[in-house]
Amino acid sequence: MPLDSSAPAGSSGHVAGDLLESPITVASSNTNYDILELFTATPELGNIPVVNDGHPIGIINRNTFMSTLARPFHREIFGRKSCTAFMNPSPLIVDYHTPLTELSYLVLDIGEKGLSDGFLITSEGRYLGIGQGVSLMQALADQQAAKHRQMMESIHYASVIQQSFLQSSRRDMAGALSDYFMFWDPRDIVGGDYYYFVKRNDGFFVAVIDCTGHGVPGAFMTLIMASALKQVLTTHDLQEPAELLAAINRQVKESLGQLARDDLGGEDVRNEDMHSDDGMDCAFCWYHAPSRTLSYAGAKTPIFLLEENGDGIITIDGNRKGVGYVSTALDYRWDTHRVQLQPGTRLYICTDGIIDQIGGAKRICYGKKRFKESLLTHRHLPMAEQQHKLIQAFRQWQGENARRDDVSLFGVHIA
Amino acid sequence: MNRIQIAATAATPEIDFDFAAHVLSLRGESYPENAQAFYGPVLAELEAYLATHTDRRITVNVQLAYFNSSSTKLLMSLFERLNTAALAGNSITLNWHYDEDDDTILEFGQEVADDNAALDFHAMALA
Repeated sequence: MPLDSSAPAGSSGHVAGDLLESPITVASSNTNYDILELFTATPELGNIPVVNDGHPIGIINRNTFMSTLARPFHREIFGRKSCTAFMNPSPLIVDYHTPLTELSYLVLDIGEKGLSDGFLITSEGRYLGIGQGVSLMQALADQQAAKHRQMMESIHYASVIQQSFLQSSRRDMAGALSDYFMFWDPRDIVGGDYYYFVKRNDGFFVAVIDCTGHGVPGAFMTLIMASALKQVLTTHDLQEPAELLAAINRQVKESLGQLARDDLGGEDVRNEDMHSDDGMDCAFCWYHAPSRTLSYAGAKTPIFLLEENGDGIITIDGNRKGVGYVSTALDYRWDTHRVQLQPGTRLYICTDGIIDQIGGAKRICYGKKRFKESLLTHRHLPMAEQQHKLIQAFRQWQGENARRDDVSLFGVHIA
Repeated sequence: MNRIQIAATAATPEIDFDFAAHVLSLRGESYPENAQAFYGPVLAELEAYLATHTDRRITVNVQLAYFNSSSTKLLMSLFERLNTAALAGNSITLNWHYDEDDDTILEFGQEVADDNAALDFHAMALA
């Protein structure tokens, strides 16, 4: 006796009604023998709704019913009695328009029975049909998968945008350098690591940047930093990396309102509400080819030099202040280090995602020491092959541990 | 003052600030999505505790494995507060536990010590 189960008007989105099934129903005038017959004749029937004149009364669950009836003498005693004897008299009854998320909490509230017996679906109190626990789980899983897919599509597209921002740097790098590599690997498809490269007739400028955060917020920061850098380059020369850092620091602090009390002449109006305190750690380098001079300024990002026949890695540390942060003064000045490079020197710059990655037997940071050992081991390989070996060693260290951060690694062999 | 005890998660350290015993411990990894949200309340409690003492022996035990850059800033401000309290007359010992093969954590500890000279800093290698 299936009832008409056409959907009430005005339903939209994911609601209980989506799960509607209209199996055979019975009334309380039916006997347990009737039920036994139905279950025997229809093996796929799990639950039978009991409905009197359109009013939902209960649910008879196959397993509960069969096992109860199988008890000694139950069949004889209850066989001719009303089928309400073994039904669940207080099943979950929900309106057609109940949102799925709300429904899932209602089902969880009543525990196991909600999943095994299902729930009755009504419209204005009138019985429409039944929803099964397993259909609910399927619908929730589908909904979750759809949301996840949508989010991933959006992040993948964001990645296209972020990579297109790197394209001119890639092109200039390929045009200016012959033996080099640039490895850029955000942890979450997009990220807060960024690099910038400009080719000039007399040399090149390279910046390796680690903005606060990773994922989408990190990617936002790279765009803010990229635009600050571009703007600063219209008024400053890229041959003075420390001045670029100072100018970007001012610009970022002012545009994000990340000013400390001192910057504001004692006025306490720093961005208390938003608490944003974002910025970047980075290494900025200008290499002047005719004089073989490397000018470097760093914000918590060292550079590593390896001379053709040198014994070890020369590490040049930058200043210990990041760019743009609240704790960095508005007029903070970074130092420029100038080094004359011997022919055949290799220059490496990485973000802290490599150095700080947890791994190894003791689950500790990869660290500068192991990174430098790896550089020494592979020092004579062409740079592209070095990248492969260096990353392989890094991944081996990481092992089964989750990646903690975005990773960028730049290397160039200067002829 | 209530003791602060927060169990470690994958992305946040274990915190046990036993204010009554004057022993503050922090241990594990720190890379929450929102470091401010995690450390903000802890720092506020710490500040309230430190404000009430000027002549106290306080022991701070730190054993970190990994911390991201936003955690670094908040940890630095935590140590700054301790340093201020040390300058105010408290005697604050900072025991910095690090793995003997972990130069990154040791280096961070040395930075903390350099920046906060009033703390009685002890680097303690774990074999």
